[in-house]
Amino acid sequence: MNVYAGTARVDVEALARHRGLDMTRFANLLMKEKTVALPYEDPITYGVNAAKPLVDALTPEERDRIEVVITCTESAFDFGKSMSTYFHKLLDLNRNCRLFELKNACYSGVAGLQTAANFVLSSVSPGAKVLLIATDISRFMTEEGGEGLTDDWSFFEPSSGAGAVAALVSDQPHVFRIDVGASGYYGYEVMDTCRPAPDKEAGDADLSLLSYLDCCEKAFMEYQSRVEGADLAHTFTYLAMHTPFGGMVKGAHRNIMRKVAKARPADIDEDFDRRVSPSLHFNQRVGNTMGASTLMAIASTIQHGDFDEPRRIGCFSYGSGCCSEFFSGIVTREGQQRVRAQGIGDQLNRRHSLSMKEYDELLATNHLVKFGTRNASMDPSFVSPARRVHGRETLFLKEIKEFHREYEWVS
Amino acid sequence: MNKDDILELIIKHAREVLPSLDDRALAGTDSLRDLGANSMDRSEIVMMTLETLDIDMPLAETIKASNMGELAALLADRKAGTPA
Repeated sequence: MNVYAGTARVDVEALARHRGLDMTRFANLLMKEKTVALPYEDPITYGVNAAKPLVDALTPEERDRIEVVITCTESAFDFGKSMSTYFHKLLDLNRNCRLFELKNACYSGVAGLQTAANFVLSSVSPGAKVLLIATDISRFMTEEGGEGLTDDWSFFEPSSGAGAVAALVSDQPHVFRIDVGASGYYGYEVMDTCRPAPDKEAGDADLSLLSYLDCCEKAFMEYQSRVEGADLAHTFTYLAMHTPFGGMVKGAHRNIMRKVAKARPADIDEDFDRRVSPSLHFNQRVGNTMGASTLMAIASTIQHGDFDEPRRIGCFSYGSGCCSEFFSGIVTREGQQRVRAQGIGDQLNRRHSLSMKEYDELLATNHLVKFGTRNASMDPSFVSPARRVHGRETLFLKEIKEFHREYEWVS
Repeated sequence: MNKDDILELIIKHAREVLPSLDDRALAGTDSLRDLGANSMDRSEIVMMTLETLDIDMPLAETIKASNMGELAALLADRKAGTPA
């Protein structure tokens, strides 16, 4: 698996101050930076830049065994045409391939992972691989006369990031071996957060938080009822959870440890530092990547944990609306070596730091690439240093011609 | 435990989570949001109160309460066994 988190970032505390938010309780949200999508970046550029190193490392024979491409997203720019078709073309894959896209808010990445795993487990095409790409971005736009971001909702601006996680799912798991059948899922209809119109996020932050906390407990209880001997405090060396912001994970961990494991407060803090904090590093620097967030938490755990011996990670995904799942998998030293070889931490360090002036200019420019754009040419001179930060070929959006998106490699 | 006792409990937990409240007088008509509690703080106060009262209910159901008094009434009904 690999993570791609763009070319530009902003310091979220600086942004929150810039917006005049109440900073007295800001620290307990545990946020540091977020990736900001530039106009010439979209969910395709994020996804391709995440998947390219994985696909390039395959032999031609192995590449031809990619028989499914699943895109997991809530940031698509077309209601019909799937982003998997763009990934398929830009990564030059075999045409005997299923291409589709999957949406369920922040649960999409794990829904895709389980769909991929079930395809592999079904053995209907032995040896076939699935390319899973979870990719999401948020673009905030300033509009004249528009209603301002107010109250707690304003915390969604500092927390909403952009990024993608790509993974190859096959019967040869080198990085993360899913515990087959060990899944507790829990979902019900709730109107917490949503994207009810193109480029518009709406919702009730409180309700979403409370629903996440409820689901975390219920999904784990279901996991426990299906997995004999499973125990929240001892079965998992690490826990990786969907991370809208670090503070929410801390709250959910505290809640389930108190209710399910009957742990004492001092022990809960120690447990959080030991078992949960390795999962937070990437998400704290990228922001909420929605469908990619749980997979990013897993990648961060693999990067930062101790895997000298094989260890089990307990994973929790929550997507508004809502559906959630608690599942688990095993990581070995080889898995950690493979994730570390991708150099994800260095990639995050190389991102261009946007000034508040650049950031505000971006918000005024974002309508150029809003949903439904028929024709547009991207301006490569906008925050141009960002385009070469990675020192390797990076895909960017070049133009939109009659709704078709055309891309270019820049090195 | 009646509604007033539960309100006292909510206020006690609010003071623990929000040290800035100090000795400020608080009433049922105060909303936690207006007192400076963000989403995380509010959920924490609700969780602590449910735990103290030994009530097991979906946290999402507490969203209906718009101030501490309404929250106390909702939890009192739940404690008494009548659905809110």
